[in-house]
Amino acid sequence: MTAVSATRERRLPLRPAGRLLRLELRRNAMIWMLPLVAALFWFVVYRRTVAYPPSWSLRVMSMQTSVVSVFVPTVVGAGAWVGSREGRHAMTGLLAGTARPRWMRQLAAWAATTSWVVVAYLVCVGVLYAVTASQVSWGGPLWWPAVVAAASVPAFSALGFAAGALRPSRFTAPLAAITAFLALEISAQFIHGAGSPWQISPLVAGPWNIGPNEGVATFYHYLPDLPIAQALFLAGLTAAVLGVLGLPAAAGGRWLRRSAAAVTAAGLLVAGTAVALAGTGRLDPHGLIAIPALHSAADDRPIDYTPVCSAAEIPVCLHPAYAAYLPDVAAALAPVLAEVAGLPFAPVRVDQAAATYHSATDNGIEVRLAGGLSGTPPVFHLVLPNQVPGPVMTTQEQAAAVRVDAGTAIVAGVVGAGRDADPAQQAIMLAIVGGSMSDPDPQVAAAASRFAALPAAERHAWLAAHVTALRAGQLTLAQLP
Amino acid sequence: MNVETVDLTRRLGRTQAVAGVTLSAEEGVLGLLGPNGAGKTSLLRMLATVIPPTSGRLRLLGRDPGDHAQRREIRRRLGYLPQSLGYYPGFTVVEFVEYFALLKEVPAERVPHAVAAAVERVGLGDKAKTKLRTLSGGMLRRVGIAQAIVNVPELLLLDEPTAGLDPEQRMAFRTLLRDLGQSATVVVSTHLVEDVGAACSRVALMDQGKIVFHGTPAELTTRGEGTDAAGDAQLERGYSAVLAEARS
Repeated sequence: MTAVSATRERRLPLRPAGRLLRLELRRNAMIWMLPLVAALFWFVVYRRTVAYPPSWSLRVMSMQTSVVSVFVPTVVGAGAWVGSREGRHAMTGLLAGTARPRWMRQLAAWAATTSWVVVAYLVCVGVLYAVTASQVSWGGPLWWPAVVAAASVPAFSALGFAAGALRPSRFTAPLAAITAFLALEISAQFIHGAGSPWQISPLVAGPWNIGPNEGVATFYHYLPDLPIAQALFLAGLTAAVLGVLGLPAAAGGRWLRRSAAAVTAAGLLVAGTAVALAGTGRLDPHGLIAIPALHSAADDRPIDYTPVCSAAEIPVCLHPAYAAYLPDVAAALAPVLAEVAGLPFAPVRVDQAAATYHSATDNGIEVRLAGGLSGTPPVFHLVLPNQVPGPVMTTQEQAAAVRVDAGTAIVAGVVGAGRDADPAQQAIMLAIVGGSMSDPDPQVAAAASRFAALPAAERHAWLAAHVTALRAGQLTLAQLP
Repeated sequence: MNVETVDLTRRLGRTQAVAGVTLSAEEGVLGLLGPNGAGKTSLLRMLATVIPPTSGRLRLLGRDPGDHAQRREIRRRLGYLPQSLGYYPGFTVVEFVEYFALLKEVPAERVPHAVAAAVERVGLGDKAKTKLRTLSGGMLRRVGIAQAIVNVPELLLLDEPTAGLDPEQRMAFRTLLRDLGQSATVVVSTHLVEDVGAACSRVALMDQGKIVFHGTPAELTTRGEGTDAAGDAQLERGYSAVLAEARS
C-alpha cells in the first residue's frame, strides 16, 4: 500500500450515492461546455436584457425567454452526450454485471450534468439580477421567471439524457440539441389566445404575442399563475422522463421498476394537469395570464406606491418605477401644461396610470390607455409609451411621443374637443400642441398660426375668458384672435 | 460448487453460441480454451450475468441468477473483465476503479482501501492519478483487471486477460491468477495455451458451443501424447488432439 491508499483512507467515508455523484461531478462532460454557456449567455441574453430600461418586469421576463432558448439546447446536448456515454464507450456489457441498478447509475450521471448546468444558470442569472437590482429605481426582483427557466434545466437535461441512453451514438447529442431548439421555437407558434395549452412552453413569459412588457407588475402584482403551471409541467416532465429510464427490465429489480413506474405515472399526471391548467388561462386586465384554479384574488389589488412628481403648477407624477423618465416627460409636457394651467377644466395634476389589456380577435390583444382627463378636480391619467407592449423607446423618443399624444389629449380635454372637434377647437389644439394634426384644413392652420403668434399671456387670458364657449362649440374660426 | 451449469444453451440470432454446456467449478483457476467462435465469450457473459441463458440450469455461488435479488448478491461477489474493455477516457485509474467499487456495492467505508489495494495489485500504483486516455493498451488491461478484483470477488471471470500484456506483465499476471485462485473461483478464457499451463488448475476446452474436454492441464497434455497433433508444446498438442477428436 503506497501513497494511493494513504491519501484515500484519510478521507471521510461518504455514502455510496454521494461518492458516485462526486465522481460524476468531477468528470462530467458538461464542465467543458460551461465556457460556451457563459459566452452564449453573454451574447444572447445579458447584452440584450440589460439594453432594456431598468425594469424588473421587462428585463426578467425577457431574460426568461432568451435564457431558455440558450440553456435548453445546451443542456439537451450535454444530457444526451452523458446519457449515451455507456454505449459510446462500449461499457454496457461491463456495467451490466455490476450490482447497483442501472437506474441509480443513470440518475447519478444525470444529476451531475444537471447540477453543473444549474450552477452555471444560477451564476449567470445572479449576475443579471445583481446588475438589474443596482439599476432599478423601484420594486424587488421577480423570481418566478427565473424559477421557470431553472425548472426547464432538469427537464430538458432529462429529455436529452433519455435520448442518449435510448439511442447511444455520437450523433445523438447534436441531433437532440437541434431538435430541442426547433421544438421549443415551433411550440410557441401554436399559441392562439390566452387560453392556449401551448403557453406551457417555458419560453412564454406572458401573453405570447406582446413580448416583454415594462407595464406589467408595477401598478398591479405579478401573476405567478402561468409560471406555477409551467414549473409544475417541467417538474412533471422531469419525473416522467427519469421514471421511463427505470422501466426496462435491465434497469433494476421489480421493486425499483415499480417505483420508476409510479414516478413516471405521477410525473405524467402532474405534467398533464399543468397543461390543462394552462389551457384555462385568460388575459388579465393588467397584462398577464391568469389561471382561475391558481389565481389569488390578492394579486388583483393594486400595489401601493408613492409617486414621484415634478415641481410645477400642474405637477407630472409618475410611478417610481418610471422615475428615470420624469425629467424628460415633465419637460415635454411643460409647454402644454403652462398654456392650460389655471384654466377651467384644466387638470390639477398629471398622474401616470396603468394600461388595461383585453383579448381581441385573431390572437390579438387590445391595449387600452385608460383614463384621459377625468375626476373632480380633473386629473389627467397618463400612459407612457414604454408601459405598453411594442418597441422600447429611448427616453427622448418617449418624451416626444408624450408631448404629441398626451399634450393633445390634455388640450382636447380642456377645450372639449372630442372625435368631432369643431374647427375652432382644432385650431386651438394645433396652436398649443403644434404638429399634432396631420394635414389640417388651411383655414384651421391659418387660425392656429395666428393664435400661436400671440404672446403667451394674451393667449392664456383669451382662453380663460372663452374656454367655456369653446367647449360648447359656440366659437367660429373668425372669432379666434 | 461456485459455478454449476447443466445443459446450458445460448442462442444469438440464428447461431447457437453455447450448445448445452454442463460444467462445474470450485475454488481455483479454470482455463477456458477453444478456437475463435467456440462460445467461450458467450459462456462467460452468461456466467457474468450479463446475458441470460436461453435454456439450461445455471447456479453461481450457490444462487440462482434468474432471481433478481440473488443475481444482485452474485454481482456483489463477482468480478468480470470482458474481452474488449470499454472505459471512460477522462477518468483516472483510481476513479475508474472506484466507480466500479461503488457499482459493485463495496461498503462505502471500505472503498478507498479496496481501490488502493486493487490498483496496487495490478502494479499501477504509480499511475493511480493518470487519466485512462493516456495509458497504453497493456496498462488499460491491468486497469480492467483492477476493476474486476476491487470487490475481492468470489467468482472472477476474465475474458482474454493477457491480450496486450508484455511477457513480463503476463508472468506477473499468472502469479496474480494463481494467488486469486487460492480463495476464489477464477475462470479465464484465453487463446494462449501457455497461460493455461502456467496458471490453471483445471482446463475446459470448448468447440462449437460445447465442452469437449474438462480436466487438469496434465490430463490435456496426456491426450496429445502419441498422436501427430499439431503444436509446439505438449499442451498445444493435447489441445489439437482433443479438437481433432471432437470434430472427427
